[in-house]
Amino acid sequence: MTDNKILVIEDLTVNFDGFKALNNLNFSMNTGELRVIIGPNGAGKTTFLDVITGKVQPTEGRVLFKGKNLRNIPEYKIARFGIGRKFQTPRIYLNLTVRENLDLVCNRNKNVLETLFKKTSENEARNVAGLLATIGLETKGNLQASFLSHGEKQRLEIGMLVAQSPDLLLVDEPVAGLTDEETENVGNLLLALAESHSIIVIEHDMEFVRQIARQVTVLHQGSVLCEGNMDQIQNDPKVIEVYLGQETSVTPQQLKMLKIAAAIAWSDGYLAPEEEQIILDNFSKRFANNEEQKEQLKEDLKGYLSLTYSWEELVTELENDSEKEFMLQLAYQIIKVNQEENKAYPKLVKLLNLPEEIVKNIET
Amino acid sequence: MSTDTFTKRNQKQKQLLIKIGIIAAIIFIFAVIMPLILPVFRLKLLARFLSLSIVALGIDLIWGYTGLLSLGHGIFFALGGYGLAMHLQLQLPEGEIPEFFTLYGVEKLPLFWQPFHSFPITLIAIIVIPGIVAAFLGYLVFRNRIKGVYFSIITQASLLVFFNFFNGQQKLINGTNGLKTDTEKIFGVLAGSDQAQLVFYEVTIVFVILAFLLCKWLTSGRFGRLLIAIRDDETRVRFSGYNPTGFKVLVFAISGAIAGVSGALYTVQSGIITPSFMEVAFSIEMVIWVAVGGRGTLIGAIIGTLLVNFGRSLLSEQFPEVWLFFQGALFLIVVTVLPDGIVGWWQKYAWEKVRSLLKISQPVVTYPRLYDDPEILQEKEDLEQEK
Repeated sequence: MTDNKILVIEDLTVNFDGFKALNNLNFSMNTGELRVIIGPNGAGKTTFLDVITGKVQPTEGRVLFKGKNLRNIPEYKIARFGIGRKFQTPRIYLNLTVRENLDLVCNRNKNVLETLFKKTSENEARNVAGLLATIGLETKGNLQASFLSHGEKQRLEIGMLVAQSPDLLLVDEPVAGLTDEETENVGNLLLALAESHSIIVIEHDMEFVRQIARQVTVLHQGSVLCEGNMDQIQNDPKVIEVYLGQETSVTPQQLKMLKIAAAIAWSDGYLAPEEEQIILDNFSKRFANNEEQKEQLKEDLKGYLSLTYSWEELVTELENDSEKEFMLQLAYQIIKVNQEENKAYPKLVKLLNLPEEIVKNIET
Repeated sequence: MSTDTFTKRNQKQKQLLIKIGIIAAIIFIFAVIMPLILPVFRLKLLARFLSLSIVALGIDLIWGYTGLLSLGHGIFFALGGYGLAMHLQLQLPEGEIPEFFTLYGVEKLPLFWQPFHSFPITLIAIIVIPGIVAAFLGYLVFRNRIKGVYFSIITQASLLVFFNFFNGQQKLINGTNGLKTDTEKIFGVLAGSDQAQLVFYEVTIVFVILAFLLCKWLTSGRFGRLLIAIRDDETRVRFSGYNPTGFKVLVFAISGAIAGVSGALYTVQSGIITPSFMEVAFSIEMVIWVAVGGRGTLIGAIIGTLLVNFGRSLLSEQFPEVWLFFQGALFLIVVTVLPDGIVGWWQKYAWEKVRSLLKISQPVVTYPRLYDDPEILQEKEDLEQEK
């Protein structure tokens, strides 16, 4: 079963003085996979990496890397097994040059005597030169690392990871504090690396996650909340709830409809206040029974409107004609106040596939 | 391009030759000229300070490069000193034991004294015993990942333990009175005689050079860079697949062994060793020498030791009471104004200043792409044409 799995985590619990940073977490990943882990602050993402790399010992459960249990194995041995880790803030040796940084990690035999008596082999020197090119720092090889910019430091640390030639790369927030251009550079670097390594990336920046993600795992309060590709994750009400951080009175069905409405209102790239007003009014009129509920619902729904969603698929999931008519009515009202949304409306009509007289009825 | 690298290599060779020339000249001055021009008293001082600079090299290795502030080097220093002193004490006719034993009613030489009859074994012991003690202590401490201030406190506490032990063992090593070497013979010559002292002085110079070369070798190359890496970010080192414990134990042991040699040379040139070599203040002073000279610059350890000690001997001749205040002030000044010590300050600021005054400063390098990237060069040309 574990033949193809590079990493399997079973029932993992980490208890810090009564606080469960990880709670019964199960996780597995295939060899060669690029997995992104997201989750709100305090979800246990960094602890998750700490456990894999041996920095924190699990209270219960176990971590299997290539079928081998990592419990009670010191960090440096885990690193030698082939797990490389990049820290949240770049951690490189500031007083050494870029080349020396890479050379240290490149060293094949890391025991004391070999390090003392062996010179850098030609093979390793070539390796370092190749890495410098990969991370785009060829011209700065002999520069002291403390003079690098933040983005270059991030790239150097990723380079140091690769120098270790690990099978599994753990990358903790590689694009925190980077400009858009640098973010894209790092993203491309990771994608290139993913061709020959298994990678786990932890990230907050959703734009970046979308660039690189194939498979996403959401952590929440120390457990896996859900797993899937980017679209599934973004449309999962549980995930949205966790990210918006509130108990919600919205049902999944309502959410589906709201997302379609939001997508139509957003199709010109801008959500006008009057559009938002129309949507909220319609929803509260339909789903709330009294004034108090109406206000509550409006509050809850408002949060969801700030995101855009892919809506075409959702339309096909509407359950009955009443819902479809409601959507059409809503969409028509929106395009009445804002002609710009015209692009999305005909598509909606087509997808809803309602009898023509009903459409006409609504439009008059 | 090829001529360019050729001239560069040529330049490097030239610089290396100049360096070797300077170092040879300095060695010549110390080894030949100093004994000729200095009065005996001053030469003796210089000899003692040079032997102290060996322990400073050891501290620089463990503190300046590996980031472990040891306040317990007095242990290793004294162990080396006691080793040689015991050998000298045993220069007696067959069957006799050192005089002090009779005072305490000891009639048979304690077992651990026996090996010190032999000179070669003594020499090995001077290096190996402090090294092993340091390795053992280091292993216990580093295995449990104790570092920073806690490491310093533990080394100081160990120092106190050793001090009290040596102080209390009259029957083993004459306790607080220590062992005299002045009046003993080495190779048939009185250790306190001018002749023997001159030999000790030259031997000290040889060992300063050897210790310096050993430290230089350790701190350059991959091993040295790893020490710096351990100092700067030990966790990262661990996650890169190195086990820092082994490296730290080895460096601490080497540092201890160097201190042992230093202690032995200092003892025979001072004429006596007592447990006061293991006083807390003395071990802290060693650290101050390194801080004044410049951490992480080996030559700084030697310069710092000589400067501080000569300063002390001059000042305490003139104003006997002031020295301690002066030493405190010196340390404060170094910490606040010259955090990199004298040599660090010279390398970072003063040398640049001198060079710019002499107009031999190197051209400032900006972004290499400005000169390499064809696109940028093209743009530059276009701009100039527009003008």
